Amino acid sequence: MEGLEQLKTQAGRLKKLAGQWSSQALEYVHQVPSEQIYAAVAILLFTSFLLLLVRLFKRPKANTILLTGLSGSGKTVLFYQLRDGSSHHGTLTSMEPNEGTFVLHSEKSKNGKENPVHLIDVPGHSRLRAKLDDVLPQAAGIVFVVDALEFLPNCRAASEYLYDILTKVSVVRKKIPVLILCNKTDKVTAHSKEFIRKQLEKEIDKLRASRSVISTADIANDITLGVPGEPFSFSQCQNKVKVAEASGVTGEISEVEQFIRDHVKS
Amino acid sequence: MLEQLLIFTRGGLILWTCKELGNALKGSPIDTLIRSCLLEERSGAASFDYNAPGAAYTLKWTFHNELGLVFVAVYQKILHLLYVDELLAMVKHEFSGIYDPKRTVYSDFGETFRQLKKEAEARAEELKKSKQVGKPVNNSKKQGQVQKAGLGGDKKKNEGGLASDGGDGDTMKGRRLENGNSNGNHVDIKESNVFGTANGKENTSSNLGAFDVNKLQKLRSKGGKKAEKTVTVDSNGSKAEPKKKITKKNRVWDDSPPESKLDFTDPVDENGDNNTEVVAADHGESMMDKEEDFSSESEAEEEEEGEVGKESKPDKQKKGWFSSMFQSIAGKANLERSDLEPALKALKDRLMTKNVAEEIAEKLCESVATSLEGKKLASFTRISSTVQAAMEEALVRILTPRRSIDILRDVHAAREQRKPYVVVFVGVNGVGKSTNLAKVAYWLQQHNVSVMMAACDTFRSGAVEQLRTHARRLQIPIFEKGYEKDPAVVAKEAIQEATNNGSDVVLVDTAGRMQDNEPLMRALSKLVNLNNPDLVLFVGEALVGNDAVDQLSKFNQKLADLSTSSNPRLIDGILLTKFDTIDDKVGAALSMVYISGAPVMFVGCGQSYTDLKKLNVKSIVKTLLK
Repeated sequence: MEGLEQLKTQAGRLKKLAGQWSSQALEYVHQVPSEQIYAAVAILLFTSFLLLLVRLFKRPKANTILLTGLSGSGKTVLFYQLRDGSSHHGTLTSMEPNEGTFVLHSEKSKNGKENPVHLIDVPGHSRLRAKLDDVLPQAAGIVFVVDALEFLPNCRAASEYLYDILTKVSVVRKKIPVLILCNKTDKVTAHSKEFIRKQLEKEIDKLRASRSVISTADIANDITLGVPGEPFSFSQCQNKVKVAEASGVTGEISEVEQFIRDHVKS
Repeated sequence: MLEQLLIFTRGGLILWTCKELGNALKGSPIDTLIRSCLLEERSGAASFDYNAPGAAYTLKWTFHNELGLVFVAVYQKILHLLYVDELLAMVKHEFSGIYDPKRTVYSDFGETFRQLKKEAEARAEELKKSKQVGKPVNNSKKQGQVQKAGLGGDKKKNEGGLASDGGDGDTMKGRRLENGNSNGNHVDIKESNVFGTANGKENTSSNLGAFDVNKLQKLRSKGGKKAEKTVTVDSNGSKAEPKKKITKKNRVWDDSPPESKLDFTDPVDENGDNNTEVVAADHGESMMDKEEDFSSESEAEEEEEGEVGKESKPDKQKKGWFSSMFQSIAGKANLERSDLEPALKALKDRLMTKNVAEEIAEKLCESVATSLEGKKLASFTRISSTVQAAMEEALVRILTPRRSIDILRDVHAAREQRKPYVVVFVGVNGVGKSTNLAKVAYWLQQHNVSVMMAACDTFRSGAVEQLRTHARRLQIPIFEKGYEKDPAVVAKEAIQEATNNGSDVVLVDTAGRMQDNEPLMRALSKLVNLNNPDLVLFVGEALVGNDAVDQLSKFNQKLADLSTSSNPRLIDGILLTKFDTIDDKVGAALSMVYISGAPVMFVGCGQSYTDLKKLNVKSIVKTLLK
């Protein structure tokens, strides 16, 4: 009880002090000419408004390109090829996304004012797939990297991943263009892009049958790909799907760069 | 000899490899390490063994979480290199000094590394010699370090004042290193905590002895800075002394119970003593109070509040609420292990109340701690929320299936090859194998797949009849051969039959067996190996707690051990039953997935045929952290 009393008296004292200070402050304000105060307030408002504007205008520009694909297909190499023009000492399985905003390496030499590109390399390991959902809303284009060398053993997994991407609600609704990139074409035994396209289409056609069946059970995939009753082909997609070739190790990536240029608003 | 040492970013770019070592590694040990260890939330472990034809390596690693770097050392498995941990720590320290996110080439680091390696090797050599001279000791690492400490003692005398300055700061490092060694099991940590501080101190002083003067200065200045930081967190240097005394007194522990009170000075380090109960009761009360005050806030918020209370309690004398608030605004410099400890403990308890096996909760927390240690705390965040976010990410990662769980897809693929798709249901007694087999059959039937059941439970009386009843109700053909037949043979005949009459899927029911029952496990292994099914589905009930670990690991172990082939079949998927009975105690799902690495393919959640679901990862994670 004693403590409480003490507290109360202290609080009272503090209140008094606060009152004194506030009156002092008011006096001080009255002494200062009013124009100065108005100017100060105006500056304050103006700067905060400016900051807000910057915030607002930075957001909606979706100039992000996503690099996706199975683990080991060469996304990280591609990322560094685009950024630095070399793959450095080589890469390992990514544990975290690589992200960067930069002017493409091949365009650095040009004097023209090129817009920087925001590139995200999403890890392909199946445990890290969930990260894709976080970055998908900002995407202006998706590069789906396929290992053309070791294509057949990974064909089903790749097409499943591709199917998942193509049926994502945001991808379909925003019509985000997809580039299927057959990587590692520098190797002699690599498959051609036509072969890969056909295989993927075939696999997705099968997937369509089994997945649409599941969707009645539980999974909420309410988007069906292509035209029912017809064999699936990428041309049936609402968004643009292109197939291209590249080689990350040797740096033949002109088709990717073209894709990025086409879909990043400058 | 050291085979390889790599420095790479978490994004996967190799920053530096040792060129001299340059031996081409056989296979891809590092990719395997990342995929099967670091990404599976097992980074709390001490080392990783890589086995491939013609290559057997041991890998050790350490993270620099603030910069997002990973350091991995690879060496031959048969060699026990004692200096690797130390070398990694030294490399990490040196490299973090020169690291710049924009730079990708560090060719000049080779020189530094060579020096570091020479030092480390020299020390290891010295250690070996002293071991031979000293009394015969067994191969334990801890003893090795005690010896080393003895050696370092002489040098410390020589260095005198010089070492004492930097020593304080490095005590932390030494202790962390020690912790890293004994990460594998927690008991070890508790034991070595007492050693750790004493060891670390002398250990590092011997480190200093080996450096040249230039480096010493650098180290000293850095160490000094670190020491200043640590003072605010927990004054480690000063703590070392009283702790030593305590251990001495502990030996006469039984005679004088009041002395145990001394331990209250250090609530962070004690985990399983009776003292914690007193402390916990304390916290409970404070949480209750808070509940009254903030009843409008959400539950999670309240719990966080409770944690904050816990965090601030141990060092309340040193910093008041103001400084802690200031810290939360300004962002804390670097997270230390001791900062994370209270939040992690609270999180572990929460996981355990959700029926996660203790062992697994422990390992998870360990792994989350390794991933956060050294990271910068962003402004306006609290440690507890940072830890929670990290844990959530880890849980999502674990529960996300590695392989496709689209069975229908596999069934269609098998149909194209004109082969029946064989699923074997295994599990302990009474978990609901037959019931859920019927549910799966019903689900498959709904999707125009022709199903056949095989009654291979030739052990328990009534099992065949039970399955026959299900078959009759679902209008599904059943293959049965009565009792007392070898189940493996029955299954083989059933598959043959299915191939002949064109069934797409064969669902094989097996007898329930306890994981310790050797003869029955042998029979199961025979069944699996003889028929090579497409899917071995482990049926486990969601009610199980700590036993889940034992069940799954034993089943996997037995399947591997008793198999004759070089590439044994293990459990491919999990069917979680009785999910409707457990309310929010969903921990079994996590335990099972973590221990086996197999995904949860189905969830049984009721009595009727339709009660079969897919696991919703997001809701599980949410429930676990609620």
